[in-house]
Amino acid sequence: MLRRALVVLVVLACAGAVVAYQATRPARAPASPKVFVPSPEFFQDFSPSFRTSIADAYYLMLVQYYGEHIQGDKRLDSLPAMATLVTALSPHFTRAYLFSAFALIDAGRPDLAYALLEKGFKANPNDWHFPAYLAFFAYSYGQGKEKDLVAAQWYQKAAELPGSPEYMARLAGILLARGGAKEKAVLLWGQAFLAGDKYSRQRAVSELAKILPKDKEARMRALAPLYGTMPKPEADALVAALLKGYAQ
Amino acid sequence: MNQVVAIAVNTFRETIRDRVLAVIVVFALVMIAGGLWLGSISLGEQGRMMKDFGLVAVTFFGLIVAVFIAAGLVHKEVEKRTVFVLFSKPVSRAAFICGKFIGLCGTMAVVLGGMGVFLFLLVWIVAHDASGMLLVAVAMIYVQLLAIMAVTIFFSTLGSAILASVLGICVFVAGQLSHNVLSLTRLSHNAVTAALSWIVYVVIPNLSAVDVKAGVVGESTLSWGEIGVWTAYLLAYVVVVLALATLVFRRKEF
Repeated sequence: MLRRALVVLVVLACAGAVVAYQATRPARAPASPKVFVPSPEFFQDFSPSFRTSIADAYYLMLVQYYGEHIQGDKRLDSLPAMATLVTALSPHFTRAYLFSAFALIDAGRPDLAYALLEKGFKANPNDWHFPAYLAFFAYSYGQGKEKDLVAAQWYQKAAELPGSPEYMARLAGILLARGGAKEKAVLLWGQAFLAGDKYSRQRAVSELAKILPKDKEARMRALAPLYGTMPKPEADALVAALLKGYAQ
Repeated sequence: MNQVVAIAVNTFRETIRDRVLAVIVVFALVMIAGGLWLGSISLGEQGRMMKDFGLVAVTFFGLIVAVFIAAGLVHKEVEKRTVFVLFSKPVSRAAFICGKFIGLCGTMAVVLGGMGVFLFLLVWIVAHDASGMLLVAVAMIYVQLLAIMAVTIFFSTLGSAILASVLGICVFVAGQLSHNVLSLTRLSHNAVTAALSWIVYVVIPNLSAVDVKAGVVGESTLSWGEIGVWTAYLLAYVVVVLALATLVFRRKEF
């Protein structure tokens, strides 16, 4: 009896030691922003049957890498190489293009984001998401007076593609109208909110918060046009996020 | 024919009762379900992640089952000396090899079928994104593994079970790189090297000719013709390898 109790005690002590050891490990320091990313050709040559699986694994790594560094040292040195790898191995992976494009903005490379979306549109010429987000990037990060026109042309292209929402043509029209830079920016950040992932939503909300008026009534008036260029549930969610903190 | 059926049924019963098989299958199901977690961190791509990583799990666990069971099939009979009893009766060596292979085919069909249906249901229930292509992909993995099983049985008639397992896995890896050997053949300036590369290219099963996983996640469009020709090629390969295994096994003396 005593022997059995002793054995149980030893086992419990060992289990406690295992848990205590793991619980007292210090949190891992943020990984290096420079990680080794093989060239797409390497995987295309050596594992053609597993290329989409490898693309998916790198996509998850990309999301993790972005999340880890954007909240830490804000260095995303290897992000362009990761985005290139994922989209080269899986050229029809729309989500990977969109997420990477927004992430590349944080990496300080809007030029690469635009080029990535252009590459995506070339590989997926019937997917309206690409011209729609190219329009957003052309307007938000483009230079010069022509950016309205370029963005409007992308929206027109998106409007012509099957399955595109009817407000694409409306957005093109709004961009071609003169003046109202701030109003146009509000509508386009609404489009960024539609990208769907939590990072682009957070970014859209914070960018809109910067350009919208502080006064509640004025802010509500500025947000009203969003209902004409976004589906209602998304517009409601965006407006709610931007009116958070204001008294009812 | 009756001999083949009897050996096949016996092999199926023997392998399906193997506890190691049950452990591997349970582990595979856990790994497939692990796709749920991967999907949850994919920012809305749960269906794609579950399908892709699920098929990878089906491939690798199927490979482990196929290779390790196939490698031990002939050796077990020799070690337990049951082969002496068997060959004292009018049972041909060809019937023995074919029966063993067909029995293992049945076991693999149950194992892969179970994993495939589990994956299909998981994707269907969780991501509402299951399509018949997922089951077609599992069927294609099954056909690929038939080729690997035949090769492993062939190696097991030549050497030890461990060697046969290792070589079976090597052939699976080489089969994924088949196109590289072809490129080597075309790039070679030396006629002897080119001829040798060509022989290696023909001998190794071409497992990368059709990318079924890419078809399932919508990355490429698979044609039924392409799938049919590839299946026929792999089945023809199985017939040739089993014939060679029979030839080698006939020369063995017990």
